[in-house]
Amino acid sequence: MLFNYTIDGFENVQHQDYFSHQKITRKLMSLYRTYGYHQISTPTFETYDLYVHEDSIPSDDLFKLVNHQGKVLVLKPDATLPITRMAAMNHPSSDEIIKYCYQTNIYRNFSAPEMVKKEINQIGIEYFGNNSPECDGEVIALAILSLLENGIADVHIDLGHVGFINYLFDDLALSPQERQTLFRYIENKNIGDIAAYLEQLELATDKKELILKLPTLYGQPQTVLKEMRSLCVNQKMEWVVEQIAEIYQHLEVIGLAQYVIFDLGFTNQMNYYTDINFKGYINNCGEPVISGGRYNDLSEKFGIPRPACGFAIDLLKVIDYMEEENLLPLDNQPRTVICYTAPDKAAAYHAAQNLRAQAAIAEVFIIKNSWAEQLQALQKNQLYQNANVYFLSDGQFFAEHDKKFLPVDSPELESEVN
Amino acid sequence: MVIRFALAKGRVARKAIELLIELGYIFEDYSEKSRKLIFTDTTGTIEFFLVKSPDVPIYVEKGAADIGIVGKDVLLEHPAQVYEMLNLNIGRCKMCVAGFKDRPISFGKKLVVGTKYPVIAKNYFHTKGQLVDIIKINGSVELAPLIGLSDCIVDIVESGNTLKENGLTVLEEICEISSRLIVNQVSLKTKHELIDPIIKAFEKQL
Repeated sequence: MLFNYTIDGFENVQHQDYFSHQKITRKLMSLYRTYGYHQISTPTFETYDLYVHEDSIPSDDLFKLVNHQGKVLVLKPDATLPITRMAAMNHPSSDEIIKYCYQTNIYRNFSAPEMVKKEINQIGIEYFGNNSPECDGEVIALAILSLLENGIADVHIDLGHVGFINYLFDDLALSPQERQTLFRYIENKNIGDIAAYLEQLELATDKKELILKLPTLYGQPQTVLKEMRSLCVNQKMEWVVEQIAEIYQHLEVIGLAQYVIFDLGFTNQMNYYTDINFKGYINNCGEPVISGGRYNDLSEKFGIPRPACGFAIDLLKVIDYMEEENLLPLDNQPRTVICYTAPDKAAAYHAAQNLRAQAAIAEVFIIKNSWAEQLQALQKNQLYQNANVYFLSDGQFFAEHDKKFLPVDSPELESEVN
Repeated sequence: MVIRFALAKGRVARKAIELLIELGYIFEDYSEKSRKLIFTDTTGTIEFFLVKSPDVPIYVEKGAADIGIVGKDVLLEHPAQVYEMLNLNIGRCKMCVAGFKDRPISFGKKLVVGTKYPVIAKNYFHTKGQLVDIIKINGSVELAPLIGLSDCIVDIVESGNTLKENGLTVLEEICEISSRLIVNQVSLKTKHELIDPIIKAFEKQL
């Protein structure tokens, strides 16, 4: 006997959740399709080698297994790497435009805490071969629209650019260790500890003041842009400001700028982003639901240098939020149940087939107990809450009304009856 | 919109509530003996609740609270994806290795450590390259070396009186501990207009 057979971090999807899941997926895929994206899929298993040098995913977080040839495999921990490789394999010419969208499960063996989901359902897009601010703008716009289309109004995109901090730090002679520590403090907006740490470092006072301003570079785009312009110490930083300003202008043109705020405190310590990166938030939902950015160096690992930008949505987090806010599309299509006595079998199946031909849900059961008992059993079952139950006897349909079974016409689609 | 605080029960919460009152918020229904779980200020813009300190980071990370006030020891022991915005400099103490004075920590021999903070202890001894067995204890940590359960302990030391009374002494200091103001990463952006003044006000009090 198998009792209590569950694994931490993995769970079943109930029928209502699965229904909403499918509906949302279809809606998003047709949205991406209207922007020219092709839906693709990559294998659930990947070679361990693909991820072994990737700093963004700690080796401990990978589910590893060994195949019959002794090759070490992992359960796909990320969608972007395999898709980048696929684009590199299928489209060897560097300047081709490739637009892919996908829906996939990814797996992370998070060590703690135990109840964190390890099977994550992601939907996203990857746009290859275009390095323009318009491309970044399209990717951000689709991230915003993905939530808006599902009735989520309170959407925020937090837009940053890893270049701003990196180009500043390139000018300061910091050891990798010092850089890493400062990055961590900046990402946590831990100004107190930055100040204490900077005291130990041999840096010019004006540079120290500059670093202390980095964690506060967030908020309304126009204000932040102004602040950023005043902090530039080299041409590359100025270039970053122009880039991000152009992307913001693009979003203004297409009417989505009001959803965007800036945060220049992002670093690329734990990811492969080279330029912009962004996170998508929903008000009152404590964790980000979208994560994306530009990763111009990744494709080169597969032999084809090619700029790229994309994002992924954590679909189950979005569904959890939509459930709380009653935004989920519910499966409430009425279903017809026909219960028959043996001589009426042919008529029952014929009536059911007629309903199905009109895309209605129809089920047929033989009557085993009394009609009342059969009806009660069905009504007790959660899955038959919205069923219309008919009883077929001697060619006549009956339906229950006030605890009495009255003769009725043969079952028809409700829309036709009304 | 309401800003929710998660406060770690104990002296840190008392000081944090004092700070909030000094900032001009009035909590009519709050008293230390109250059994209510959530307290709201008279203007309805601030709410706070008291939880066990190790739970504060998770409440803030998941967005059940916008702001949390909790000791650095807890943040080191239970790392969370939050913004650690202010060092409030209250509840100051030190994370230390303590043991018997005449038995210093010897290198090259496996050490048994009793502690409430297994993650901090493990990280500290691993960076030193010292072999250790860690025994997680939930309270009265000083007892462990006295009855031979462990060679030494890792714990927070404020005055050092408990150690002294039990014949123990600080052998090594690991780091300074004080209370931190942490903020949910989404709230800081989506409720910026409300949270920013609160943080600024706390900053001024320091």
